[in-house]
Amino acid sequence: MLEIKELKATVEDKQILKGLNLSVKAGEVHAIMGPNGSGKSTLSQVLAGNGAYEVNGGSVDYQGKDLLELSIEERAREGIFLAFQYPVEIPGVSNLQFLRTAMNNIRQHRGENEISAAEFMKLAKEKIKQVNLDASFLKRGVNEGFSGGEKKRNEIMQMLMLEPSLAILDETDSGLDIDALRIVADGVNALRSPDKAVIMVTHYQRLLDYIVPDFVHVLAGGKIIKSGGKELALELEEKGYGWLGIDADDAK
Amino acid sequence: MTLFSEFSSVQAGLNTGLESAPEAIQQMHREARALLPSVAMPTRRTESWKYSFRRTAGLETLGLASSNQSSTSITDATTRYAEDIQALVLPFTNGLLCPQAITKANERDGIKIQRFNEVNESLAAEILAHAQKNDRGEFETLNRSLSNHAILITITKNVKVETPLLLQYIQQGEGLSLPRVFVQQESGSELQVIEDFISDDANNSAWVSHTDFVIGANARLTYYRMNLNGKQQALAGTTRCILKRDAALESHSLCLGADLGRHDFHVLLTEPGANCDLNGVCVTRNKEHFDNHTNIEHIAPNCTSNENYRCIADDASQIVFNGRIHIHRDAQKTLGSMSNKNLILSSQAEIDAKPELEIYADDVKCAHGTTIGQLNEKEVYYLKTRGLSDDQARQMLTLGFVLEIVRSAPITELADAWESCLADILSFRD
Repeated sequence: MLEIKELKATVEDKQILKGLNLSVKAGEVHAIMGPNGSGKSTLSQVLAGNGAYEVNGGSVDYQGKDLLELSIEERAREGIFLAFQYPVEIPGVSNLQFLRTAMNNIRQHRGENEISAAEFMKLAKEKIKQVNLDASFLKRGVNEGFSGGEKKRNEIMQMLMLEPSLAILDETDSGLDIDALRIVADGVNALRSPDKAVIMVTHYQRLLDYIVPDFVHVLAGGKIIKSGGKELALELEEKGYGWLGIDADDAK
Repeated sequence: MTLFSEFSSVQAGLNTGLESAPEAIQQMHREARALLPSVAMPTRRTESWKYSFRRTAGLETLGLASSNQSSTSITDATTRYAEDIQALVLPFTNGLLCPQAITKANERDGIKIQRFNEVNESLAAEILAHAQKNDRGEFETLNRSLSNHAILITITKNVKVETPLLLQYIQQGEGLSLPRVFVQQESGSELQVIEDFISDDANNSAWVSHTDFVIGANARLTYYRMNLNGKQQALAGTTRCILKRDAALESHSLCLGADLGRHDFHVLLTEPGANCDLNGVCVTRNKEHFDNHTNIEHIAPNCTSNENYRCIADDASQIVFNGRIHIHRDAQKTLGSMSNKNLILSSQAEIDAKPELEIYADDVKCAHGTTIGQLNEKEVYYLKTRGLSDDQARQMLTLGFVLEIVRSAPITELADAWESCLADILSFRD
C-alpha cells in the first residue's frame, strides 16, 4: 500500500529525514517509536502534504500513485488520514458542517453519491458515541474549547467517519488518561481490516498494549534504524534507546 | 466648503406641517435648522470622518424621499425571518411610519406608540431636553431638523414584551429618508428591538436615521441592527443608548457595505451597575464601504462594557472601525473590554481600525485588542487534510470568522437569516 524509499525532507532548511525506508502493506499496523526530534512528526506531516516541509530526495508510492505529486486534499480523498498531534481549534466552523463537506468530497472522488443530511446525522451520532463524546460536540466549533483528550477523541471520530485506507496517528496517545486511551484504541481497532493500514507514531509502549502492532520501527536521526515485532517495543520500554547506540544528540 | 444646510432636503423640508405640534417639539426642529448653516460636511480634517469623508461627496444634492409611497411591509428572502419570529412589524416607508401599525401596536399591553407631534407638553419638554443635551452635530442635526414624523415608543414599567419589535425602514424610490425613533423603557421592562434597513433598487437613495433609547433602572434591551439586502444606498445612522442603574444592553449588528455606510453607536452608562455587550459583524466587497464608530461612555462607577466586532473586507472595499471607551473620573471599578478582529481578503481592500481608550479613573480594568490579518494557514491546512479544496477551506474559515459572533444572537431565527445571507456573500468566489 505504502512504499517509502530513501525519503529526505527539510523544514526551515534543516535536514530532518535523511533517507527513510518503510513498507506498509494493507491490513498491517505499524508503530513508529523514537526519541524526541528524530523525525517522527516530520514523517507524518510529509505524508499528509504539509507545505512547510520540503521533500528533497526519495520517493513515496501509495497504492501505485506517486504520493508526493498529490495535493493535500487529493491525498485525503485517496484515503490518507492524519490524526494530528495538536489539532487546531477553529471557532465558527462547526464539526458537522466541515465533516459533511469533507465526507462528500471524498465520496464524490470515489464516484459515490452525496450522503443525505439525515443519513449523515445518524452516522455522526453513532460515531461520536463510539468515542464517548456528547452529541453536542457535533454542533460546536471544530475543537473549540475542547480539552486535550477531547480533541484527540474528535480526531478519531473524524477518522471513523471518513474511513481512510491509511490512517496516520501522530502521537494520538500523548496526554491521554487510561480511559481515553482505551477509547482511542477501540476506535483504531474498529478501523482495522484487511484492506486498511495504520501507522502509529508514539512515544509510549503503553498504547501498544491496546493496539497490537504487526511491526515496530525505531526512527532516529531521520532514518529507521531498527525494525521488529511487538516485542521490540517492550525491549525499548525496558532498556531505553541507549542500547541501540543512540544518544540524544545523535537522534537529531 | 459644503454645509449641511445645502442639502436640497432642507429646502424641501421647511414646509413641515408642524404647526399643531407642541411648542417644545417645534423648538427642537427650529434649533436644529438654525444650527445647520454653520455645520460643515465632513472633510479630511474632521477627525471622526478621516477615513470616510470622501464617501459623503454629492449627498447634499439629494432631495427628500417622497412620503406618498404605499406603506406596506416588505417580505422577501431577507425579511422572511420576521414571520418566523412573529415580530411586531413597524414599517417606516421613506421615514414615515404606517398609521395602521401604530394602532395595532397600541393594542398590545405595555407598548405605547405616539408621534412626536402628538405628545403632551411635559413629554415634549423631555424630548427637547434630550435632543439639546445629546446632539453631536452633522448628520444628527440634519436628522433632527427634518424628522417631522418622529415616533416615541414607551414601554411600561416592569413589562416584559415577548414579541420583538421590528422597525422596518423601507426605502422606495430616490431621495433621503430621515427616520427618528425615541424608545423609552421604564424601569424593570424588557424589550427586543430589530432595526432593518431595506431598499428597492434605487441607486440614489439614502438614510440618515436616528434612534434613541433610554433604558430605565433594571430594564433590559436586546437590540439588533441590520441591512441585509445591501443595494447602492447611503446608510448613515446614529444609535444612542442611555442606561440607568443596573440596566442592561445587548446589541448585535450586521453591517453590509453601501456607498456610504456609517453607524455611530453611543452608549452612556450613566448610573452604577449598568452594563452593555456590543457585538458587530461587518462585511464589504466590490467598492463598498462601512464605518462603525462606537463610543462607550463610562460615566458612573461599577459598570461593565464588553465589545466584540469582526470585519471582513474583500475586493476594493473599505471598512473603518473606531472603538472608543471613555472612562470618566468618577467611574471607578469599571470593567471594560473591547476586541476588534479584521480579515483582509484582497490586496486592494482597506481596513482602518482604531481602538481609543481614554481613562480618567484610577481603579479600573480595561482591555482592548485589535488585529488585522489574513486567514490562518494552519487552519486551512487542517481542513485540507480532511479532503476540502483550498477554496472550500478558505470560504469555510472566512464565514466561521464572523459566524462566531453571529451565532451569539439570542434570536436563533435571526442568526439563521444572517448566516445564510453571509454564506451567500462569502461564497461568491465560486
